[in-house]
Amino acid sequence: MPLANLPASPSQLARYPVEARDAYERFRTTGDMDALGIVILAAVRDFMPKRNLGAGNIELRPEMKLMEDLGYDSLAVAETVFFFEDLFKVRIQNTELMSVRTVAELQKFVVQKLGENAGKPTA
Amino acid sequence: MSSFPGGRQVLVTGLGFITPIGNDRASVSANLRAGKHGLAPVEFLGNPQVPVKVAGTVKDFSVDSTSCREWTWPTRYDLPRETLRGMAPHGVYAFCALQQALADAGLKPEDVANDNETGLFCASAGSAMLMYNNLALMHAVRGERGNPMGVVSSIAGTLNFNLAAHFHITGAVCGFVSACASASHAIGYACDEIRLGRLKRVLVVGAEELNAETLLPFAAMRALSQQSDPMLASRPFDAGRDGFVGAGGSVVLVLEEASFAKSRGAAVYAEVAGWGQAADGYSVAMSHPAGAGLQRAIGNALRDAGVGAKSIDYVNAHGTSTPVGDRAEAIALKAVFNAAGTRPNVSSTKGLTGHPLSLAGAMEAAFCVLAIKEGFTPGNPHLVMPDEACADLLLPRETLATGPATVLNNSSGFGGSNVCHVFKRWFSP
Repeated sequence: MPLANLPASPSQLARYPVEARDAYERFRTTGDMDALGIVILAAVRDFMPKRNLGAGNIELRPEMKLMEDLGYDSLAVAETVFFFEDLFKVRIQNTELMSVRTVAELQKFVVQKLGENAGKPTA
Repeated sequence: MSSFPGGRQVLVTGLGFITPIGNDRASVSANLRAGKHGLAPVEFLGNPQVPVKVAGTVKDFSVDSTSCREWTWPTRYDLPRETLRGMAPHGVYAFCALQQALADAGLKPEDVANDNETGLFCASAGSAMLMYNNLALMHAVRGERGNPMGVVSSIAGTLNFNLAAHFHITGAVCGFVSACASASHAIGYACDEIRLGRLKRVLVVGAEELNAETLLPFAAMRALSQQSDPMLASRPFDAGRDGFVGAGGSVVLVLEEASFAKSRGAAVYAEVAGWGQAADGYSVAMSHPAGAGLQRAIGNALRDAGVGAKSIDYVNAHGTSTPVGDRAEAIALKAVFNAAGTRPNVSSTKGLTGHPLSLAGAMEAAFCVLAIKEGFTPGNPHLVMPDEACADLLLPRETLATGPATVLNNSSGFGGSNVCHVFKRWFSP
């Protein structure tokens, strides 16, 4: 299920680790959902408020709660959502996000969202 | 002594500089003394046809990208991503200038946090670049999504939103918008809040970014110099001047009530002896031809400060290097000072810095108190042939090795807003 409408080498990922950029390319060209999971994890780490955690190099585990465990505030959540909207050209409603609390739930949500939108032309 | 009841006096106890002529007090002071400008060649929009060739650039920062993730600043400033995410490019300058000013004032961040007595008054025009970028996206996706930080990072007020949150300022927080008089208004009203006993301390922040979106609209007004030689481009009061040179940066002043400052053993630059304002009621953009509003603003400032025209020994002019504005200011200065039988030294430091718009009043106020404290008087190093309207003004070319005791700082903004401050050398009682 390749997502041909997504651009190669998007500027949003320009400063991301090479593993995340490779994973994006794999997802874009082959539809590999595991690769998408890697991109999402990289974004979660990127938007995590570092100050709240000190070093910011902790290992991300699927059950970790964005707010309670990773120090996200509502603006950081909004920023992350916009990042995915902008990167994957999808629209995410506030109500859809209400159930997203953990890293795993966020991965599942974005994977599901992109599955719904795969191949659809968007703005 | 001010006319305000309570006899409270206002002191400048800290300065922070991110300017075209230096990013710390020592560099700024050295360049003011040497008459060394901070203008550099620029090209906007990748188009050599744009008729703007030089600007007062900020060095050691990179904030050209529309993504804050791409920005860089000197590593000595501790700017976390949680703060950066809501900022405009000029917010980065302001953040660094504020950290610098607090350190200069001998204050730790916790000294100004959550104390209910420290206020934050800011001045900038917002970020036209980020606003344009955000609205372009909004149109491209027909309103379906947008950057959640789009509003707080771009509208006028972005400085106060971000800095108040980061530094936990719990006294009065607000912004001032009167174009090139904005930061001067911020200083004036900060002074009043302290004199009224409402605040003990106010952090006054002026900042502007320098990019196509901020500057080129002024080229459309035919207000910018088209010179490519920095020595010729910003020539306040010179007969050959052809417009102003844009600039970016940020300057922060820490103002404190005198007894409060004394109680914590603060070092003092100078006293804000008073301020005044008056408007032209004449044109949306041009000064009144005789500087009518500016004349009254100067009179109001002198009265508020309780000093006569003869007490002023240096005027830091607004002097942007535009044909109309400099002439109006020259006429206003002659009407006030020459009529009183005195000729203070007059200079416009915009010859060295260019014109940083909303920031101008704060930058030049800081230069004034530096001149008082360190004992020098900035000159007009780019002045070759003074305009005939300046014939009776004392416009030293070189920096004078003696400092002023009492200084007038002028600013004028669109719509004819004129704001003046009087700063005095401080003798601890």
